[in-house]
Amino acid sequence: MKKITLLVLAPLLLLLGGVPPAAAQSTTFTGYVRNYTAILLEGDQKYAILQDTLDLKIEHSRGKVDFKANPYINFFHNKETEIDLRQSYLDIMLDSADFRIGKQQIVWGKADGVFITDVISPKDLSEYLLPDFEEIRLGVQALKIDYYIGDHTIEFVWVPDFTPTKTPATDSIWYVKPEFSISPTYDYSKKEVPSNFGNSEIFLKFSAITSLIDFEIMAGSMWDDDPTMHINQSIDISTNQPVLRVTPEHHRLELVGGSFSTSIGGFVVRGESAFYNGKYFRSEDPALKDKVVEKGYTHSLLGLDFTIWNTRMSVQVIEQQIQDYDEQIVSDEKQDTVTILISRDFLRETLKLELFSYFDLNNAGSLLRPKMAYDLIDGFQILAGFNIFNGNKGNYGQYDGNDMVFAKVKYSF
Amino acid sequence: MRIMKKALVIAVVMMTVPFLALAGEAITGQKAIENVYNRPAGDDMQSDLTMTLTNSRGQSRVRKMAQFSKDFGKIEKKIMFFKYPADVRGTSFMTWSYDEAGRDDDQRIYLPALKKVKRISSDSKSDYFMGSDFTYDDLGDRHPAEDIHKLLREEMIEGESCYVVESTPREDEYIYSKTVTWIIKDKWIDLKKSFYDEDGDHLKTLMVKKYENISGFWIITHSQMNNIQKKHTTDMQLSKVKVNSGIANRQFTERMMRRGVR
Repeated sequence: MKKITLLVLAPLLLLLGGVPPAAAQSTTFTGYVRNYTAILLEGDQKYAILQDTLDLKIEHSRGKVDFKANPYINFFHNKETEIDLRQSYLDIMLDSADFRIGKQQIVWGKADGVFITDVISPKDLSEYLLPDFEEIRLGVQALKIDYYIGDHTIEFVWVPDFTPTKTPATDSIWYVKPEFSISPTYDYSKKEVPSNFGNSEIFLKFSAITSLIDFEIMAGSMWDDDPTMHINQSIDISTNQPVLRVTPEHHRLELVGGSFSTSIGGFVVRGESAFYNGKYFRSEDPALKDKVVEKGYTHSLLGLDFTIWNTRMSVQVIEQQIQDYDEQIVSDEKQDTVTILISRDFLRETLKLELFSYFDLNNAGSLLRPKMAYDLIDGFQILAGFNIFNGNKGNYGQYDGNDMVFAKVKYSF
Repeated sequence: MRIMKKALVIAVVMMTVPFLALAGEAITGQKAIENVYNRPAGDDMQSDLTMTLTNSRGQSRVRKMAQFSKDFGKIEKKIMFFKYPADVRGTSFMTWSYDEAGRDDDQRIYLPALKKVKRISSDSKSDYFMGSDFTYDDLGDRHPAEDIHKLLREEMIEGESCYVVESTPREDEYIYSKTVTWIIKDKWIDLKKSFYDEDGDHLKTLMVKKYENISGFWIITHSQMNNIQKKHTTDMQLSKVKVNSGIANRQFTERMMRRGVR
């Protein structure tokens, strides 16, 4: 990786013609400190989270070169302190191209809170989907090249080393134990994707903003961030009992997709869709050796944003569909979800009321997230709200016992 | 295109006014407002903007941003980079305004936490800008054709000889029932403007505190909007103003929204 990085950097530095010693330099330190407390509403009102965060953003610029780092510390009441870098990268800016090298969060697409073409940065789901989006996305070590032609951009991303989804710990309220007919043994020998050049991920995107429409077209070759559970059932000769061996394994995915947004009158219409080739699904087909089957898969969204009576509204309809479906597949052929955002500012934009909701149409489940944020003074915000899960199965219903009230006190500097 | 139109109107005005004077005809309210609307402003402009919001208890909140605008012919593009307070730093906002009558602006916002540029629904002209006392209409160029203008009198204020013009909206549902504007005669600067609410009561007053001639153009660099009913004021001060400095087209792109002001 270091050799490859040097190979990439050397011609760039030549292009820059060296950084002049007298180039204007500046260093800035910004960030926030935050207390985040959430209490479960059911049972004996356990703390869902007690967290104190210091998030620091350091930026240093010198002419055409910028360095940015985003270290953070999370203190928890019931688990080990996290100290890590959300991002740490170098920007090299030429006339028509930018190069970004290092650990970075990369965001693509037009969807809000839904990951369709936005697949480069894996997700940190250790606190489910509840953290701010800046904290859900994990930074990946990558080389990103943007080439600009007017208002159009061609973007290439190379991720040399695979990072999977960060899943909840087994003692977390967000951990969902996989269901099997008998207690399985796990074989983790294939869980890691070996770190080598052949296992890189690459992505390419063309994006444009025009007076009529903004759009993106993308393609990628990546690893599925979530491992497929290969299930092998056999009979133990010594006990004559069935034995289940589960082998988690990440698979290669090829995807193509695109997104758009356009204004029609006072409305913004957004759409996003991707086709994934190489996705594996669990199947009950007895003829399948590993109880999984490979199928094509589409993930699509249509959204509408508008303002009515000084209230911002946004509705998104999302459909995930398994192509060439057969009835033995455990998952539904189609999974339909609707998100609704309602938001309004009061008191000269110092008080904001918001309701963001996910509705799982297949399982009659939902997640309602009403919240209220008040800027006591500039940069000092108090935020309070609820996370209410409804239903008994599916993405949201399975967490019906995790309803909570939460508060955040945040000081930005 | 807009600049050409402005230049054309100015040329027409320059040629016409002497003849009108010779003929002994006084200027009309309509003409005075048109002259303010068409006052030359250059092909491009950049400045730092400090907005200070002060409430009835004397407590102030400050917003700071850098802004760039350029005329691209049929489109005028404007980009704002928010610098203060800390929780909005890095946010940028780009507007494309069209010459076509009735066409809404295109607006895009870049939020550093989301790390993406979003197209957003165009703000209503009656919405208040960032919690200030200015609506988007107060900040923009309200077209003279949208109101009926009547010259009330001529008056000296702040040592300047002014036309006083009353403007009544043609639209029934507009937030103001009327405005009264004091226009400096030889510079076509709207030195003072009083706004009246839907009930006809005095709502707020805009006072120009300072204007400067920059690169041959009259630029208002300090104005204050005083909401009399809410006892709330907003000061807008421009600094580091540059006009016709030749801002590159690429300043008005998604790339720059993400990169921020440097």
